[in-house]
Amino acid sequence: MNTTLNFAWRNIWRHPRRTILTMLAIAFGAALLVFSIGLQLGQYDLMIKGSISIYQGLLQVQKKGYLDEPKIRNDIKDIQNLARTIRDKTGIKSITARANGFALVSSEQRSYGTLITGVEPEYEKLVSSIPGTIKEGRYLLSDDSHEVIIGKSLANNLRIKTGDELTLMGSGRDGSIAATILPVSGIYDSGSKELDRNLIQIPIKTFQEVFSMGNAGHALIFYHDEIKKEHFFRQQLQQLIADNNQLLTLSWDQLQPGIKQAIELDYSSGWFMYLVLVAIITLSILNTFLMSVLERSREFGIMLALGYKPFNIAKLVMLEALILTFFALTLGTLAGLAINVYFAVYGLTFEGMEEIAQMYNMSATLHPQITFESILIGPLVIFIFTILSALYPAMKIRHLQPVEAMRKI
Amino acid sequence: MPQRAMLILLILLSLSLSAPVQAESAKQLIRQAIDNYRGITSYSEATMTIHRPDWERVMSMQAWTEGLDKSLVRITAPKKDKNGGTLLIADKMWSYAPKINRVIKIPASMSNQSWMGSDFSNNDIARADDIIDNYTHRIIDSRLQDRVKIFTIESVPHENAPVVWGKEIVTVTEDHVFLRHEFYDQDNILIKTLTADEIKLIDGKRISLRQRMQKNGRDNEWTEFYTTLIKFNIKHDKNTFTLANLRNPG
Repeated sequence: MNTTLNFAWRNIWRHPRRTILTMLAIAFGAALLVFSIGLQLGQYDLMIKGSISIYQGLLQVQKKGYLDEPKIRNDIKDIQNLARTIRDKTGIKSITARANGFALVSSEQRSYGTLITGVEPEYEKLVSSIPGTIKEGRYLLSDDSHEVIIGKSLANNLRIKTGDELTLMGSGRDGSIAATILPVSGIYDSGSKELDRNLIQIPIKTFQEVFSMGNAGHALIFYHDEIKKEHFFRQQLQQLIADNNQLLTLSWDQLQPGIKQAIELDYSSGWFMYLVLVAIITLSILNTFLMSVLERSREFGIMLALGYKPFNIAKLVMLEALILTFFALTLGTLAGLAINVYFAVYGLTFEGMEEIAQMYNMSATLHPQITFESILIGPLVIFIFTILSALYPAMKIRHLQPVEAMRKI
Repeated sequence: MPQRAMLILLILLSLSLSAPVQAESAKQLIRQAIDNYRGITSYSEATMTIHRPDWERVMSMQAWTEGLDKSLVRITAPKKDKNGGTLLIADKMWSYAPKINRVIKIPASMSNQSWMGSDFSNNDIARADDIIDNYTHRIIDSRLQDRVKIFTIESVPHENAPVVWGKEIVTVTEDHVFLRHEFYDQDNILIKTLTADEIKLIDGKRISLRQRMQKNGRDNEWTEFYTTLIKFNIKHDKNTFTLANLRNPG
């Protein structure tokens, strides 16, 4: 075996220039894959984080059926107490109670229908980015203050500013007319045009009073920026609400299936591009391997004549391919990793990305994801394809006849 | 009241003018049924029951109408919502909330929202006669029942008509009492059905006293509108259909 290894090593370096060029081709392909996969996954992270941090959270606890039919009567009793209990038991502060409804809001001049949410201002700040995007005025003060915050687009549509009065009218939990007049204390600009136009917030106790909700609400929202730990948190939550079989825990991809679908679509089209890339690399490598085997026909003929078994020669050729690919991939992976680390630290911005970024509420700076999988999966695929492509020339050796082979050039 | 409902109500409250219908085209049938309400004034009292699997709410209201274009509905019970109301003039709609003493204009974008928490949408109550010209009508069935001829008409909106439904199927008698009104979405799936019964002869008009709007596939969710009193050809005060009257019951 040692002899074979020796042989293989020496054979590789018999044509240093060709070997180095081949290695560079593989390395370049590998580096490109590592970089684009890292970037792509980094982009998904950004999309998910951007979408869940703005409003919906990583996980929510709702009454069964509320997701499909968000009716005001599908509620959770004593919701603030439940939120408090869960905060105490988990030690995690970023859990808040909300009550949701629909209302017709009007200013002096105009009326629009919007979603209206009753929030716990103190904890809402830890769960959603909306309180941090108040551009005018301030956020809600307490659970029972009489005030409302609205999005910038809606404020423009209604032609109102902070301090003006907003009239709300909707249907209460008991079917009665829910109506109130509240001063606008703040105007937010969340970056999501849809929310800015369609969502207003009032303190949760004010909501419960206006909409005849008693102490009930509709959802507990949980936020954490480590998306990967979702499963762990979900189990924890599930345990804490286990005594009420009317409740269930929902994850971000159930709450916002659109994001996951967009990611999956992008992912599969991404893989198609990668496969094309891998195919091109593989074909060019196949060419190199095939050339090197064909031109060594005479050498193999002599080896066969000396008593070498065709299988051993094939093994030798495979070994050469293996060594070459291994070093090339190591080089390429390290290069790709280096690029990813650089951009992970300094960030990467594309021209014109801001608009797309805003659509998904992402920051416009990309940081490639660096994980075991994101680094290794690309090189691994190239490795498998390269070895497969080396198999073909190696197989050809089995049919060599010593005398004929020696006569070839 | 519910717009179609109104329509219906109106219509519904329908009256049968005596002109026997002959050689009706489907469109004429609909037009005549609706024309029955034109120029007719009414005062009525009704209860509206909103039924859900786990609760039920009953409201009482008074309604004033003048033709197809004007109506005022005022809630008399329960106490919590007393004096709240809705004013309709042509396709404009206002709501009054006594709790905050404000009148709010309901924007067109809200037309699919529920009216007073019922199974009638604002649209159901507000639109009246646009079914005539925005739809293509076709009689798909006619039969004789108790010596009254009953027509079933399929109404499909024109390509660019500003309507939410994909198709409506109306069952109407030859003397203009609407019996049934089915609403289908763009995929031709039945969404809800308005049925009318307890047909009585009042002031010389045959009208239905009870209408029920039922969401398809939800037997336990419906809204029933029951007319307890109705008078036609009333002379309304000229302030009846004004925002001031909506705001100041009395």
